[in-house]
Amino acid sequence: MLMIRRLYDYKDLLLVFIWRELLIRYKQTLIGVLWAVLQPLSLMGLFTFIFGIVLNTAHKDYPYVLFFYAGVLPWTFFSGAANFAVTSLSGNFNLITKIYFPREIIPLSGVAINLIDYVVGFIVYLLLMAFYRIPLTWNFLWIVPLICLLVLYTTSVSLLLAALNVYYRDVKMASAFLMLFLFFATPVIYSIDTVDNRWKLLLFLNPLTFIVESMRRVTIEGRGVVPWQMALETAGVLLLYVLVYRVFTRIERAFADVI
Amino acid sequence: MSSETIIEFRDVWKKYSKQQVLNNSLREELVAFITGKRRRDDLSEGEFWALRDISFAVGNGECIGLHGPNGSGKSTILKLISRVTYPTRGNITVSGRVAPLIELGAGMHLDLTGMENIYMNGTILGLSIRELKYKVDEIIEFSDLKDFINVPVKKYSSGMYLRLAFSIAVHSPAEIFLFDEVLAVGDEDFQGQCLSKIRALLNKGKTMIVVSHDMEKLGQICTRLLGVTVGVMSAD
Repeated sequence: MLMIRRLYDYKDLLLVFIWRELLIRYKQTLIGVLWAVLQPLSLMGLFTFIFGIVLNTAHKDYPYVLFFYAGVLPWTFFSGAANFAVTSLSGNFNLITKIYFPREIIPLSGVAINLIDYVVGFIVYLLLMAFYRIPLTWNFLWIVPLICLLVLYTTSVSLLLAALNVYYRDVKMASAFLMLFLFFATPVIYSIDTVDNRWKLLLFLNPLTFIVESMRRVTIEGRGVVPWQMALETAGVLLLYVLVYRVFTRIERAFADVI
Repeated sequence: MSSETIIEFRDVWKKYSKQQVLNNSLREELVAFITGKRRRDDLSEGEFWALRDISFAVGNGECIGLHGPNGSGKSTILKLISRVTYPTRGNITVSGRVAPLIELGAGMHLDLTGMENIYMNGTILGLSIRELKYKVDEIIEFSDLKDFINVPVKKYSSGMYLRLAFSIAVHSPAEIFLFDEVLAVGDEDFQGQCLSKIRALLNKGKTMIVVSHDMEKLGQICTRLLGVTVGVMSAD
């Protein structure tokens, strides 16, 4: 693909960037990599307490803990990578204005470290599923293309936010709001099944809606994805990615002049 | 010395903007992207020419000294060679890997140790991890920081910091080295070390562009001097 060919010569730099971020992140921390698990687990605990105990709303006929954790995990990955990306280029201006390398390496390293956290968090998810005795089915394998779709969408959004923030620092301000907005537009704390049909279509414009809902379907419910939804969302995300990456490589040449 | 051309500038113009918010620039890029037309290359309000009609060629193994007053465009020339920025008009051909020592330690991270920074800064300068593993002892040896290599760089003195940065940079396998005012940093001892290392690289057939105010030092190492005044070049 487009990006892989460009990055091949710089794969070591990408590796070192990922390694650097991990080093910096866990230097002088007490529990280190456990943070990767603690964050989604504590969010899950909070949501379970509020929606399961305080408000006592029922979404599905399976444990709340699984329901929320399945939603929180992809959301944490997406928002973590996007938040990292926003200031990733503008914050590294001393590198950008002095040395050439494909600029997407910096936001991409953010996607990569959040993917590592995601994988660690996913192991906990598997343990939770075993604990609640959820039967494994072949449909579970759908999780692989769904994760690919999630990574591709997250990459596109990260590149876009990172590039725009080079030009306008307003993006940083707006993105905090955008993330909150997207959080509610994604069925993390609710299920799309409880939504009126009129709004469903609108919500499905957000690829995360499809991804989060389908992840619950294929892992906990043991059902397959809806094929036409999968096809449409994949096409949409691919289109977004190609467009964003083209624009990115185009305006990248001017980053050092405007940063 | 071979006369094979390794860097060539043909009628290069470069404009910069004085404005803080560059909304024009993004709009121009996007319009150019969508319509497929070339970007505007004339001056509009708030813009100025940093370089005007620069043409020169550098042969393989040459050492060029660039001198001129502040703001005359010397650093812009280096940035164009290292592809950090692109010309508004004209063409640039560079054949070979470039190691830009434009600001020593640009890729360093203060929380990381000296050893970790060797890998960080080395890959930024275009070395692969394999090359670095092979060269790491040499780099530490040259920097003379053996006892401090596992200490975070934030605890280094500024001299130690510079020694490490310079040492990493000159071990790059690039064909072209760009030095921007690095001759002006550090104490006498360190400057002497820098100069002898630059000479050693030249003997290995590397191409070099050195920017400095210090005409005397430039004269000591360079094969040819080029003067830049307000974006226009004059050859000596």
